[in-house]
This record gives sequence, C-alpha cells and structure tokens, in this order.
Amino acid sequence: MTLLESVGRFSIRQAEYIGRLAIQFWYCLRFSVRASPFKGRGLRWKRTLRQMGDIGVRSLPVLCLVSGATGMIMALQAGAELRRFGAMEAIVTMVGTTMTRELGPLMAAIVVIGRSGSAISAEVATMAVTEELDALRAMALDPIDFVLVPKYLAMLVMLPCLTVMSVFSGILAGGVFAYFTLDLTLLAYLSRTAEILLMRDIVSGLVKAVIFGSIIVHVSCLEGFTVSGGPVGVGHSTTSAVVKSIFLVVLADLLCTTFFYFFWR
Amino acid sequence: MTASTRSTTELREPPRQASRETVISVRDLKVRYGERTVLDGVSLDILRGETMVILGGSGSGKTTLLRHMEGLERPAEGSVTVKGVDLATASRATLTALRRSMGVSFQSAAMFNSMTVGDNVALPLLEHSALAESTIQVMVRIKLQQVGLTHVEDLYPTQLSGGMRKRASLARALALDPEILFFDEPSAGLDPVIAAGLDDLILRLKAAYPITIVVVTHELASAFLIADRMCMINEGKILAVGTVDEIRSNPDPRVQQFIRREANEPSEASSSYIMGA
Repeated sequence: MTLLESVGRFSIRQAEYIGRLAIQFWYCLRFSVRASPFKGRGLRWKRTLRQMGDIGVRSLPVLCLVSGATGMIMALQAGAELRRFGAMEAIVTMVGTTMTRELGPLMAAIVVIGRSGSAISAEVATMAVTEELDALRAMALDPIDFVLVPKYLAMLVMLPCLTVMSVFSGILAGGVFAYFTLDLTLLAYLSRTAEILLMRDIVSGLVKAVIFGSIIVHVSCLEGFTVSGGPVGVGHSTTSAVVKSIFLVVLADLLCTTFFYFFWR
Repeated sequence: MTASTRSTTELREPPRQASRETVISVRDLKVRYGERTVLDGVSLDILRGETMVILGGSGSGKTTLLRHMEGLERPAEGSVTVKGVDLATASRATLTALRRSMGVSFQSAAMFNSMTVGDNVALPLLEHSALAESTIQVMVRIKLQQVGLTHVEDLYPTQLSGGMRKRASLARALALDPEILFFDEPSAGLDPVIAAGLDDLILRLKAAYPITIVVVTHELASAFLIADRMCMINEGKILAVGTVDEIRSNPDPRVQQFIRREANEPSEASSSYIMGA
C-alpha cells in the first residue's frame, strides 16, 4: 500500500467517523424533545434524573480534589515567578481567569471522561454484546432514544454544574495559597476575584462545558454502539472512548479559545 | 410415553390449518460480510398462523436470515417483506410501527440486567400502551404465569436460571400480544428436560393464539415436534422447504445427513493426526 493510499484510507475512516457522530447527534436532538417530564409517563425524564446522579453527584468529590490541587499548583508555580518581580497580587487574576476560562471546564471534562465516559462506553458496549440493544430495537424502541438521550440531557445539565464547582475549588485553593503568602483573607481574595472576572470569562467556560459534555456522551455512546468482537471488544471500545474523548475535548478547547480570543475580546 | 411427551403430542394433534396468506416473504436475499457470503439468494414464504422452523448447522446463515426477517438488518441485495412492508425501503417510523406487532426471544435471552424481571416485561407496555400502571402490573403477572413463572417479578435476570431467563424473555416478547413471534435457538444451552418444557410452551402458545411463529434451531427433536413446516438451510442456501414429513423423506443427501446426524467423512490428514500416524 502506497503512502497516498494509506493517507486516503485514514482520511475516509475519519470522515466516516465524523459522519456517524453527526447522524447520531441529529437523531439525539430529534428524540430529546420526547424526554420532557410532561410527555407520556415521563419515563425518559426519570431515567435522565438517574443519570444526573451517576454523572454529576458521584463525580463531585474527586473533581473538587483534582481542581483544588490544580488551582494550588497554578498558584505555587505563578508565585515562584511573580515573586521575583514583586507582583504576587497578580496571582489572584491569574488563578481566577485561568480557572474560569480554561482549567475549570477542562478538569471537569477530564474527570467526567475518566469516570463517566468510560462507564457509558462499557455499559453501551455490553448491551450491544449481550443483544440488549437488539432487544430494544425488536421492542420498537430506538437505542438512541432509550439509552443515549437520557445520558446526553443529564450531561448537558451536570457538566456545567460540575464546571462551576471545579472553578470554585480551584479558586478556593488559590485563596488558601494567598492567605499564607499575601496576608489576604479568604473573603478579600474572593471579592477581588469577583471584581476581576468578566461575564465573558464565565460564559466562555460554561459554553465550553456544554460542548465538552456533548463530545463525551456522543463519542462514548458511538464507541459502545459500534463495538465488535465480544467481551474483548468492550475493553477496546472503553479505551477508545476515553482516548478519542480526551483528544476531541482538547481540540474543541483549542477551537473555542481561538474563537473567543478573536471574536469576543 | 411420559406425561410431558403425551401432553405435547396432544397439543400438536390435530395440527392447526394455517391460512394461506403470506406474512413474511424473503426474495433472493444475498448477504455478504466482507469476502464471505452468508446468504446466497435465499427465497422463503412464511404463512400466517404457521410455525416455521429454520433448521441448519452452525454457521449455515439461519440466524442472519432471522435477523433480516426481524428487521434488525437491512437487506443489501434481495428483499424481505413483512406484512406487506419492504424492510429495505421502510422508513425508521414504519419499521418501528411494524416491530410493535412482532415479538423476539433472543438466543441469549437479552434481558436488561439493570431492571427486575417485572420491569423487563412491563417495558414494552409502558412504552407502547396507554394502560394504567396498576393494569400493567397485573398484565406482567399474567404474562409471566403464561410462561410458567411466578413470584419472580422482583428478581433480577442474573438471579434466574438459564431456562427461567428464556421464559422471562418470552414473556417480554409476548407483552404486546404480537402477531409474529421469533425464536432464536430457544433450547440452546439448556438441559433436555428444560428444553422439552420450552417446546411444550411453544406448542401451548400455538394452540392458544393465532400467532405466526418462526424458530431457528439446530435441535432436531425440538424442530420436528413444534414445526408445521420446516426450511433446511446449508451454506447460505435453502436446500428444502416443506412439512415435517416432506423434510423427513427429502432425497437430498445433505438433508438426510443432517436429519440422521451423520458426521462428515474425516479427511486423511485429520485421521492420521488423531491416530498418531
């Protein structure tokens, strides 16, 4: 196989993957309307609430620890450099804006990929291997409607909430650092952070959270839906879901940051 | 004659006369997975009210044929028509509506392990009917009783034996009172007594409801007991279609080899390897 053929095959495979994601996303949007709590018996809404618990509430402790540690690391690293210039107070701005715009949503997404994305992929892939997805189709239930939509809606609600908690944990950890090095009380630190944060910072972080959440659920479910090779395939699909989700989330982060840099100054 | 055999024989006699309307029509169906041809120009008609058993060895293509009839696979070449709907061209909505008149019992039972048995059986009713939840609970108990299961509503599928899981799966398939019922290897992995119990159950269903049943199996005893007509499939091609007696007397040596459970002639190389020569 020539180099050109290899590149061609690779490109076709990637285009096919993006196409599948797009079709799945379209059907998911169409079915999402049915998840209203006022439709039918509200069965999908109940499933969505259950998923919110799985995706959101149970991810919270580990996310707060990870984001808190990230905020503290950032404050320590920035402090080491800023001390030389006598600009230690810039730590407040640095931690506040970076956590809100960038690291808060990214840390939340990475924790959710590791905890929930892998679980979603494994669950859906196991359902495919054990013919449960076929059983749904045979019962005139669409797996996208029954399996994907509740997870997607739960993620759309919970990832922005987790992002807020992630940002808050990071800023709070920065505040602890400031308390010991800048003689700044926690209240003063927080009110100064609130002063420097712009609406743009908060909105860009939340927009990213919504985009990251969509990527995580759709990639994880697609990997599960297209599993092949029995139980071994379940392991492969889980690994693939995590790797692809992280790659696409970071890529989306880059695109979003570029967009906000040029179009919303 | 044992009580069980006597009861199944009584249920089978006299055989119900199937009406001549074709419910499922397969025409020149060809299926390929990569280079491998799984079905090679298969054509088959299944009539309303009959029990059609699709018989064949492992890898002969019978499950693939069944999945096409169930609408789980779309035919790439040839056509599959169920109740007049061409499955190749049917819209997603049409296919969904059609599936409400079908029930499928999967080889692995395919029960939802995260739900109780009762919730599994209730699911199609909750999704597709406007019945009150209290009525659905009663119907779930009735459906489970029909397949010989009681007091299992609150158990999870993993707490049931293989035979009980298959019965529970059948109860779920029957929940919407389907016109067509598909069975994929109903007795696979079950001991002979439980397998006979399932055959008995299929015969009782057949006697109780005007239902079209399609069974895929390679279990000869079961096939001859429950079938009105049989279809023998080998290497992706249909060898014979007919009543039980017609299949028994079919002159094709491959059909006779399967019915008599005769092994293939061992090759010289494998014989010498086994004999250590």
